[in-house]
Amino acid sequence: MIILKRKPKIRNELLRKEGRTAYLLLIPAFIGLVFITYLPLCAVFGLSLFKWEGIGAPAWAGMANYVRLFTKDPYFFDSIKATVLYALVTVAGGMVWSLVIALLLNRKIPARGFFRAVFYLPYVLPAMAVYLGWNWLYETNYGLFNFLLSQIGVHKAMFIGSSKGVIPSLAVIAVWLSGNLIVIFLAGLQNVPRIYHEAAEIDGANSWQRFWHVTIPSMSPIIFYNLLMSLIVNMQVVTPALALTNGGPGNSSCFMSYLMYLYAFRNSKISYACAIAFIFFILIGIFTVILFATSKSWIFYEAGDDK
Amino acid sequence: MKIKKLLALLLCALMVAGLFACSQAETPATEEAVGTETGTQTAEESAPAEKVQITYSYWGMPDEAASVQAAIDEFNALQDGIEVTLMSIPNEEYTTKLNTLATAGELPDCGIMNENGVLDFANKGLLADISSMYEGADSMPMDSITFKSEGTPVAYSAANEILLMYYNKDMFDAAGVEYPSASEPMSWDDFIATAKLLTLDSNGNNANSPDFDADSIVQYGCVIDNWTWQLEVWALSNGGSWFSADGKTCTINEAAAVESIQKVADLYLVEHVMPYYAGLADEGIVRSIVAGNVAMATGGAWNVGTCLATAKDEQGLNYGVARLPYMKNEVTICTGGPQVVFSQSKHPAEAMEFIKWYNQEENNWDSLIATGIWMPILEKYYTDESMTHKWVDNPNFPDYDSYKAAVVDYALEKAVSTCWYYTPHTNEFITYLRSVLGPVWTGEQTAQQAIDDAYPALNDILLGN
Repeated sequence: MIILKRKPKIRNELLRKEGRTAYLLLIPAFIGLVFITYLPLCAVFGLSLFKWEGIGAPAWAGMANYVRLFTKDPYFFDSIKATVLYALVTVAGGMVWSLVIALLLNRKIPARGFFRAVFYLPYVLPAMAVYLGWNWLYETNYGLFNFLLSQIGVHKAMFIGSSKGVIPSLAVIAVWLSGNLIVIFLAGLQNVPRIYHEAAEIDGANSWQRFWHVTIPSMSPIIFYNLLMSLIVNMQVVTPALALTNGGPGNSSCFMSYLMYLYAFRNSKISYACAIAFIFFILIGIFTVILFATSKSWIFYEAGDDK
Repeated sequence: MKIKKLLALLLCALMVAGLFACSQAETPATEEAVGTETGTQTAEESAPAEKVQITYSYWGMPDEAASVQAAIDEFNALQDGIEVTLMSIPNEEYTTKLNTLATAGELPDCGIMNENGVLDFANKGLLADISSMYEGADSMPMDSITFKSEGTPVAYSAANEILLMYYNKDMFDAAGVEYPSASEPMSWDDFIATAKLLTLDSNGNNANSPDFDADSIVQYGCVIDNWTWQLEVWALSNGGSWFSADGKTCTINEAAAVESIQKVADLYLVEHVMPYYAGLADEGIVRSIVAGNVAMATGGAWNVGTCLATAKDEQGLNYGVARLPYMKNEVTICTGGPQVVFSQSKHPAEAMEFIKWYNQEENNWDSLIATGIWMPILEKYYTDESMTHKWVDNPNFPDYDSYKAAVVDYALEKAVSTCWYYTPHTNEFITYLRSVLGPVWTGEQTAQQAIDDAYPALNDILLGN
């Protein structure tokens, strides 16, 4: 009995010691999170309850900024629409494109290193140069795409010059830029255990069945990671609006980050921009929670009960 | 093992070098931001004790700041009473930084500002009254480039810029069409008729030809730059306006102003004489006259220096200048980046003296005026022909007579202030108007629909809500 009682005590002590070390080691990360993320977030929310244009003392405004956003702001709803639409199209397009390219690059093709570099290259190019280049391709009156279209007898397309065309056109650029996803997929593909493929092959599965029932489930944690990162990054999109479209035509590419920038730094309405930032944070939060909630049903962890 | 040690050493050395480089790079930046402390100290040591210290804020890249610093050094050496230090702030954070400094009560004594921010600053009581700046001078800056808050002058532009029309002489010659007159502007109908003669499809048919194919246009007759602020001139030209004269009422929803926008949109939508521009960028002349695919285009006078002189020299572009076509009234608008004196300054008189000296045409002559980028601000350059000759008789400009008629006289006789000289919140107003007009350029909405829908919000912006 004595021995039985003593054992857990030792284990508890050990656990406590381990716990202490763990907390100690977590302190730097915790400090970083608190001071760089949580406190500024609270400050943003706090400031959004004031009226402050960058000059003088902030004046208490309660929910006035939020009320104006939802009742009077001429950009706000268009901005949410543009951001969500862009993120969905870009994430879907980017995921499919990157996975397909990664699958191709994973095969034993000639000059594989060269092709890997080619598909990764756009990701490391300077953003302004990329958008300027695409601007010329998309140009409505004399652009290369329109020239090619005219050669096959198709009338001019406006691409980024029209409110309907601008999001798909910008999404194409974003998909083309998604070299980082390709690299992560490639790494994931190389870690799919050969043994499952061999087992499936012995069972007579064709290559499509092997892809669908072996590769995809084994890749699901990687797919989830890419999905999440790509969603967050693409919802925070701002460069194309700054570099190419100024949020237009109309409000069709007035992304939320761009709207924040517009209010905060062009019109000096800092507290109002904070209100937008807070709503934006909640919006991204909702999408992330949805993604996490659905993930349990489709992510396959090899270790089974791994938490 | 040795290799590993060597590598570790190498990495350490790199880190140290990196740190050193960072600290080196940071030092001048900090010094610049706080006003070159060492420079001030040396000045204090060498200058007499009563020398007044003032600070001038400026945006721009380090190389631009160097030329400003050179001018400041010259001013400091010229006289014994005032010592100016430069506060260089990156362009993208200029307004934010000024706001922060204003809150802290530490604004510089004087500085450059964006046109569209001047009256917002003045309304917050941050700009000094500068009406005494040119007291006793032989020539004043023109009234049209004077920023006024409730009738009080708060800033003068450092340059005068008007909108005018440029045309490609070779295209007119090829079509056998007479050049636009430099002194007698075309009516809107004549302008469209001329543009039709100059719009050609890939088979060489002009827009009047029954075989004309609007889908294969290779040369357009005209461009009216629809970069938003420039559209104000067409409201004025059509007998309307965007704002009442006191800047307190938004009048853009009145028939003449709305019609003027529709007339510009119809050049593309109905007449097929203008390429499609979404109005999202400021590049009218570069994309039209310089690119060599448009016969007539409107743009600012600065284009002579920023792109046309090079195009003339390097591409052999043969261009001419003319006054803007007109709808009902002959008019153009003028603008120019202003220099201001901040109200928090303890030495407004000295700050004004520096700004007055700094704005002198002579200080900007070689880099900005003789190149054709800036037009002078003092009236005498427009009224005294010997001064006009001094300015315009140089190889960067089109021939003297046409530039005198289409730009110099036009600026004197027909130029009125752009809206930001007399009404606040124009930055927000124009940004929103740009988004409102997007569907008008594509034809998804008429100007009437777009302005009717947006008017409450436009008016709210004007009222500062």
